[in-house]
Amino acid sequence: MVRHVIRKAAGWLLMIVVATNATYFLASWFLDPRSNFKELRPVRTEEQIDRALAPYNLNPQEPLLHRWWDWFTSVVFHFDWGKSPTGVSVNGEIGYRALISGELVIIATILSVVIGVTLAVYTASRQYGWADRISQAVSIAVFNIPTSVAALAVVFVAIWLNQNAGLHFLYVAGENSPGVEGLFPTIGDRLLHLILPTLSLTLMGYVGYHLTQRSLLLDTINADFVRTAQATGLTRSKAIRRHALRAALIPTATSVAFSIPAMFTGAVITETIFGWNGMGRYFIQTISKNDVHGTVATAAFAAALTAIGAILADIATVFLDPRVRVN
Amino acid sequence: MTLTTLAATPAPTDATPVLSVRDLRITFPSEAGPVEAVRGVDFDLLPGRTLGIVGESGSGKSATAMAVMGLLPPSAELRGQVLLGGRDLIGLGDKELSALRGSSIGMVFQDPLSALTPIFSVGRLLSDALRVHQDLTKRAAWEQAVELLDLVGIPDPRGRAKSFPHEFSGGMRQRVVIAMAIANKPSVLVADEPTTALDVTVQAQILDVLRLAQQETGAGLVLITHDLGVVAGHADDIAVMYAGRFVERADVDELFRRPTMPYTARLLAAVPTVDSGVHRPLVPIGGEPPALVDLPGGCPFASRCAVAQDACRADEPALREITGHGHVACLRADEIADGTLDPAGDTGPDDGPGGSGPEATGEVVLRVEDLVKTFPVTKGALLKRRVGTLHAVNRVSFELRAGETLGLVGESGSGKTTTLLEVLRLKRPEGGRIEVAGTDIGTVDSAARVRELRQDVQIVMQDPLGALNPRLPVFQLLAEPLQAIGRDRESIRSRVHELLALVGLDASVSGRFPAALSGGQRQRVGIARALATEPKLLALDEPLSALDVSVQAGVINLLARLKRELGLAYLVVAHDLAVVRYISDRIAVMYLGHIVETGDTESIFSDPRHPYTRALLSAIPVPDPQRERARERVVLQGEQPSATQPPAGCVFVDRCPLYRLADEEVRGRCRTERPEPTAVAGRPGHQYACHAV
Repeated sequence: MVRHVIRKAAGWLLMIVVATNATYFLASWFLDPRSNFKELRPVRTEEQIDRALAPYNLNPQEPLLHRWWDWFTSVVFHFDWGKSPTGVSVNGEIGYRALISGELVIIATILSVVIGVTLAVYTASRQYGWADRISQAVSIAVFNIPTSVAALAVVFVAIWLNQNAGLHFLYVAGENSPGVEGLFPTIGDRLLHLILPTLSLTLMGYVGYHLTQRSLLLDTINADFVRTAQATGLTRSKAIRRHALRAALIPTATSVAFSIPAMFTGAVITETIFGWNGMGRYFIQTISKNDVHGTVATAAFAAALTAIGAILADIATVFLDPRVRVN
Repeated sequence: MTLTTLAATPAPTDATPVLSVRDLRITFPSEAGPVEAVRGVDFDLLPGRTLGIVGESGSGKSATAMAVMGLLPPSAELRGQVLLGGRDLIGLGDKELSALRGSSIGMVFQDPLSALTPIFSVGRLLSDALRVHQDLTKRAAWEQAVELLDLVGIPDPRGRAKSFPHEFSGGMRQRVVIAMAIANKPSVLVADEPTTALDVTVQAQILDVLRLAQQETGAGLVLITHDLGVVAGHADDIAVMYAGRFVERADVDELFRRPTMPYTARLLAAVPTVDSGVHRPLVPIGGEPPALVDLPGGCPFASRCAVAQDACRADEPALREITGHGHVACLRADEIADGTLDPAGDTGPDDGPGGSGPEATGEVVLRVEDLVKTFPVTKGALLKRRVGTLHAVNRVSFELRAGETLGLVGESGSGKTTTLLEVLRLKRPEGGRIEVAGTDIGTVDSAARVRELRQDVQIVMQDPLGALNPRLPVFQLLAEPLQAIGRDRESIRSRVHELLALVGLDASVSGRFPAALSGGQRQRVGIARALATEPKLLALDEPLSALDVSVQAGVINLLARLKRELGLAYLVVAHDLAVVRYISDRIAVMYLGHIVETGDTESIFSDPRHPYTRALLSAIPVPDPQRERARERVVLQGEQPSATQPPAGCVFVDRCPLYRLADEEVRGRCRTERPEPTAVAGRPGHQYACHAV
């Protein structure tokens, strides 16, 4: 098992290296940091612009291969991913934003999976019962609401609650309040800020897990082996959880693992509405500001997450289906 | 076993029943209205005794078993009483029932391939089953699981406990299911068609294991089956179920000696048998079992009964005691019991197979010589390395003439279906040659000629429901092959009606969809479709195994009539030797890709030479309790080995009973030299391949 994971990790590392370097060349061709200076007054000359970009290894007069080699060696030897056209360190930005996104995405993903799968088990065991029909109708309705609409609705409800019920802990903007001191007040403050964006992301996320897990489970719930398990003395719900669910969880585990990178860079709308400076907004900003190094680092970050997700999916599959170990 | 064991059958009349069912009624909701699947069933099960419940599909026997286990879907409505040790199970919740399931009642299911959770090792499944009811440590439960596996005859139980279900064969998995059922020493065992999905030789082993399990636990066994042969040898009492009720309940010897309910009598007459003696014609029961929605009054069997009177159609007769013969639900039971009335009526063999014999002198329709088919065994996820070769068919030769039927018989994995598919593929075989209607398939290169040949060779599939497109009405199903060969509309219309009449179906069927037909009607449509292009050769892949006994006989007779009228040649693949006897002129017995014996049907049955043929024949249960218990059986050890590494000599050597008795010189030849077919003196065409006979 360990050997298998190491072999897989090595393969993914190679993949990350190739993808990141390919992104570097693509970004360097298509993103032109000089255009950032076009709007500045007084108008800068070409030489001035090039000189301004030179310290950040972005000088277009320098051959692309030279720039790539400088960037590549600094990443490999110093793990320095370069600087933006305005001289901000990419490492610092990503480190800070990854943490913020992590708070948001990991809690929301866990909640989505737990709620989605629980609902799926509950409703699949009562197929076509009223609980199944209602929850399915709700899920389909939510599925069709665009993220921005849902997030704004959450904001409006929160503001209404704050105003009418006299609540003051539902923060609709930002990841923390300025001027909070001390460890516990900081954690508490951050958690309160998390409530609404997490709620919004969970709402959008659980639906997929509910609907797919329900249909996956329906395929196995009436299998003969579930009946055999009942015949040995398990109650129906125990037999479903121990015997049917485990086999039906494998596709879900895979899809959760692969959805994590997409969640990190894809929560743009939620981040924007709730004023969070996460990875999603950073990705958009780096592209719009012609930040070659920032774009490449974001891509590398997503690639690394994909690799981690894939390896986690493998581990989860082996854990859920021990037959995989035999082969 | 000798006849003396018959007298020794214990009759513990004073024992308290472990299970009593009183007036059990089960109703399922359906779109057509409530289906009364079980309509008042009563029985008592004594400890150590076996009650056989026999019935066709839809008779309510499985629903009864599920009701006893408390495993019916929640939509089912139950009434009556199921008393287990004096406690009524009906109305108990899932939690209370789950405390009894597995501990007081154990169940063995029909299909061992799907009955075990694929993601757990069998040791884990067994120890889980133990730990549900007993307070055991994981280690202790595992030890007990290993003991149980040993008890049910799994070789190397300690090592095999770690294996997963997919690493076991069907028979071995059924042993595991039995081990799970008896894990907590229940007082009642319910076995629902425990051997239906298994090969005959394995069936005999599993029935022995079941008997052993019963002895070990002292439990009462409810054995549910459609196979009268299985219950004849293994049950003490038998209840025959029809349309949701018991129509006859009697001691096994009485029931088989003089079946008193006309349905039972007709059912017995419709079962193909293999016992030596006369080749009696099969008498099918006309019609189909009634649908259980809005059942009209009167005896549900009256419309199919030869001796029904007007009174039979007025009221449904209750199950009543007939002196000296258990209980029967028939108004005329007394007359039948004292022998003054023949329950089969005067409906003789309407359409007996007959005509089988050495009359087949037609032209050669199919000639197969030294046919070889192998499959590569590959390994590796990305790069498929070839690690071995599976020899599915190995130098098989036979010849089939017009008006003749050849039955290919063998256990699953013997290569019989592969042989059939190679013939149907109409492409140059991997080795050897195939000649259809005088044309060597290997020399045919134009696609048009292949299509012409395709008309001559048609197939009838095993499962008619799967073989017919559910979205096409019967007319379209039958018109499709005709459209494919470019017939015009008018001739298609008349040909479809001709075909329906040919297979004995009413013209009104043409507008219906397959789902609206009964099993027998569907198989008739399947046969009609195969006949549409006027083929010379019909390949029949297990044509009867999906049909009920009472319907089976009708299809057997239909096939015989069609062969006679149309001069067809049949190549039949079947695992059921009894059925094969009734439709084949010649039989080829296959084992591990080889034909081990071939000859006329009657000479194979009366004088089998190859030890495998003998074992195969003796494994078939006979629907006669006395002969079934008295006869000598050759129970084969183990199972068919994998065809990836067939033995260098005789392929049967690992399981051969003769090999064990043979002297050293013969043994050496068996191990190293493939036996060549040897002709039996005085019987042309009868050949077998064995060194030791």
